[in-house]
Amino acid sequence: MIKRIFDWLKQPLGLIAVGIAFLALFSFAAYGISLTQTSPAQPIQFPHKTHVGLGIQCLYCHPGAAKGPSAGIPAQAKCWACHNQIQKTLDSQQPDTQFPLLKPLVASVKSQSRLQWVPVAQVPDFVQFNHRAHIAAGQNCENCHGDMSKQTVAENPQVFNMGFCLNCHKKVAGENHDLLVKLTDCATCHY
Amino acid sequence: MSKQFSRRDFLKLAGVGAATTAILTGCGPASRLVRREPYLQMPEYTYNGLSTYYATTCRECAAGCGLVVRTSQGRAIKAEGNANNPLNLGKTCARGQATLQGLYNPNRVRGAIKHKRGDRLYDTAADPFNDEFPDAASNMDWDAATQVVAESLKNNKPEEIAFLMGMAPDHLFDLATDLANATGITAPVRFGALSMFESRATLNKAAQNLFGQSGLPFFDVGGAQVVFSFGANFLETWLSPVSYTRGFSALREGKTKLRGTFVQFEARMSSTAGKADEWVALRPGTEAMVALAIGRLAAESLGITTPKVFADVDPMDAASKSGIKLETLEHLAQMFANSNGALAIPGGAALGQSNGLAVAEAVLALNALAGNFGKPGGVFFSALAPNQTAYQQPASAQEMADFVQKMIDGKIKVLFVHGVNPVFELPAALNFMGATKSVSQIISFATFPDETAVEADYIFPDHHGLESWGYQRVATGSKESVLSGAQPVVTPFYDTRATADVLIAAAQLAGGKFASALPFKDEVEFLQSKIAPLMSESNGFFEAADINTFAAFFQQYGGWWKTIDGRNVPNGANALNRSISAAESKFAGDGKFFLVPFVSPTLAEAGANKPWLQELPDPTTTVMWNTWVEINPATADEMGLADNDVVQITSDAGVLELPVYRYPAIRPDTIAIPFGQGHTAYGRYAEKRGANPTDLIGQNYNEAGDLAFAGMKVKVEKTGRKQALSRLESLMGVYGVGLGEEH
Repeated sequence: MIKRIFDWLKQPLGLIAVGIAFLALFSFAAYGISLTQTSPAQPIQFPHKTHVGLGIQCLYCHPGAAKGPSAGIPAQAKCWACHNQIQKTLDSQQPDTQFPLLKPLVASVKSQSRLQWVPVAQVPDFVQFNHRAHIAAGQNCENCHGDMSKQTVAENPQVFNMGFCLNCHKKVAGENHDLLVKLTDCATCHY
Repeated sequence: MSKQFSRRDFLKLAGVGAATTAILTGCGPASRLVRREPYLQMPEYTYNGLSTYYATTCRECAAGCGLVVRTSQGRAIKAEGNANNPLNLGKTCARGQATLQGLYNPNRVRGAIKHKRGDRLYDTAADPFNDEFPDAASNMDWDAATQVVAESLKNNKPEEIAFLMGMAPDHLFDLATDLANATGITAPVRFGALSMFESRATLNKAAQNLFGQSGLPFFDVGGAQVVFSFGANFLETWLSPVSYTRGFSALREGKTKLRGTFVQFEARMSSTAGKADEWVALRPGTEAMVALAIGRLAAESLGITTPKVFADVDPMDAASKSGIKLETLEHLAQMFANSNGALAIPGGAALGQSNGLAVAEAVLALNALAGNFGKPGGVFFSALAPNQTAYQQPASAQEMADFVQKMIDGKIKVLFVHGVNPVFELPAALNFMGATKSVSQIISFATFPDETAVEADYIFPDHHGLESWGYQRVATGSKESVLSGAQPVVTPFYDTRATADVLIAAAQLAGGKFASALPFKDEVEFLQSKIAPLMSESNGFFEAADINTFAAFFQQYGGWWKTIDGRNVPNGANALNRSISAAESKFAGDGKFFLVPFVSPTLAEAGANKPWLQELPDPTTTVMWNTWVEINPATADEMGLADNDVVQITSDAGVLELPVYRYPAIRPDTIAIPFGQGHTAYGRYAEKRGANPTDLIGQNYNEAGDLAFAGMKVKVEKTGRKQALSRLESLMGVYGVGLGEEH
């Protein structure tokens, strides 16, 4: 039986059928994977540029970047510490508000529920990325994340792939051979 | 591979499949469908993605092992041993690992409850992960609860108020003791099923009789060459299992000395006996006789005058009564005599008999013969914990019976219960359940809706151990004097409150002598007052000049301990110069079989509500989620019993029905039942599962007041029904069941 199927598949018509089946499967799988790589919507279209424009430092809201692997998302208490003193925020509860962006913040603070943010800058699980080392080496946030004073919801200015990392690591190492070895060693990021 | 589809074709196809998968999934993140929740209020010392570790103390038994709990984003995610703690040096047992499942248990009591006795506290069918889950929900606030406690303290005569407490935590016991001492309330009584099955009182009494000093003996298994254990299941639940397991591994490792030998004497092969070089299946009740006979033969083999203690026993008689061959006894005696590091340990079922005290004394006398007191590999008195002046022995079963009698006589009007579940843990024959009817007010501080909480008028739940402050004294198991410290690793999940805080607040509210007995702001201030004297002690693991620094170190390291060996050497001068009765023990009941109840090594007394432990196969039988009765296959064949046949077991005290496990490693005249299941409450994972062997145990005690739980003879009858036990071992692979070649 199996032999007959194989024989049939080796004929031109069979080969075409295999090709079509493979393409169909491939497109379906590609579509499925592209779905997993599409981010869900943010709970608030957070205007980074407004906050940066007010002179707030990145590390004020994301202090984890200087302390550990993850920069972190500020606790709602931190948002509220400033926002509860801002008239706009309090006014956002009016029905004809001009500041609808603030509505979810007030609602979540009042109900003590958590805003579910969607991470923008992600690396695969097999990469051990640590913010702290990069900040300690004098890198600025915008070197990787772009100029936040021009963005509302954060967007990645580039793909965080291995080429991006290595380009920068090589540039930083320059002529320093020992540093180059350290910064390009596989186990520096994959352990 | 079939003829049509070659191995080569298969490999080709598999290769193409693997390559396609690799190309399609690429090297990106597995998914962008990720959401992250920030804290509502982030503690300042926490950072996203960084774990925070807290040192605390395990509450799954009273041994006091140190834990380090990993927390992430405010949730406890893994418990491991505290490597600094001299007791467990970074190790835990299975129950310590499963402590997280107590914290996250869906059937916890969620707030203060006024309750009608006997009413169910939760609904097993309800969805525990639904926020609207109504079970064990609060129906009163904590101010009202404190008021209730204050009034019961104030409106009753002090001698009519009683505290019944568990073996852990010690700080709460100290608080209740202070309150009792200052106000005339009856001194708190402590009890736990583990201490009952360990026969602690007997061990203590025997030590007192032989050495003239009270204390809990410490057996240095690690330093010995030959270890004889009479019923002590020290690799399972006995006294301090993690520490004894470490000692056992030192005995076996043989790096710095010869690999040690281990012989276990008991009628049923426990998982401790399973690790032994020799398992001596003596007839229950002949332990004292066998120990004395070994002593006599060993003395003869050494060529010394037979000490008085061994002189009266006849080895021939001992051999015939115990069912051990005389040659075996002689060979064991020679092994014991010729070793330069022999150690004998009495414990467990061997002491839980009518002559248990004689057994304990006889076995301790073997150590006197070996002359190992205070030497490496010998017997010591355990180091007393830092803030302790004498060994505090838990109540024996006899003392519990007296306590129950006081309840029945109406001498106790208010009963506070914490950390113990007497309705389940005490044998039904003691009638604790009936005695509750004579107590007008019962207040339970149970974290879980256990059987005793069901019989209470109020339940004012304490935090889970991982949410609590406290300390636990290490009673035995470490050379050093250790006070293991506990601190909350997470904020409490529910509207529970620390019992110490409730008592302090209630005492303040009650005023007068109560308020002056507990003049503290809260539990932490009380704890600091208890550890403050340690600052002036020498040889501490750390030192600090002021209490805040000291308390911070105490939390950080998980307690305080000394750096020197604090064990005492027993005075064995007269140990060989007395007489010990070699008479067999008496058995209650006229059944054909000796009954050996043993504590389940995986569940112990309070593990039944943790699915990890339920799912963990019993080390000897691999049975999970149930209770069974072990019967020797030869006996089972005689009675026509196959695996899973339900039998009715009748003792003087009660009747149980249990499925049979044909266990080759048990004497044909003995049956054994594990303790740990048979709950009628205690949450969805524990309830209506298995049976409780304490229902079979009557009110028989030994001379030290411990329960003679292994001193029963029972009838076994076939019922004709079957109940399948779930077990890990393959019946087909191990026993050939179903292949027509059963063996």
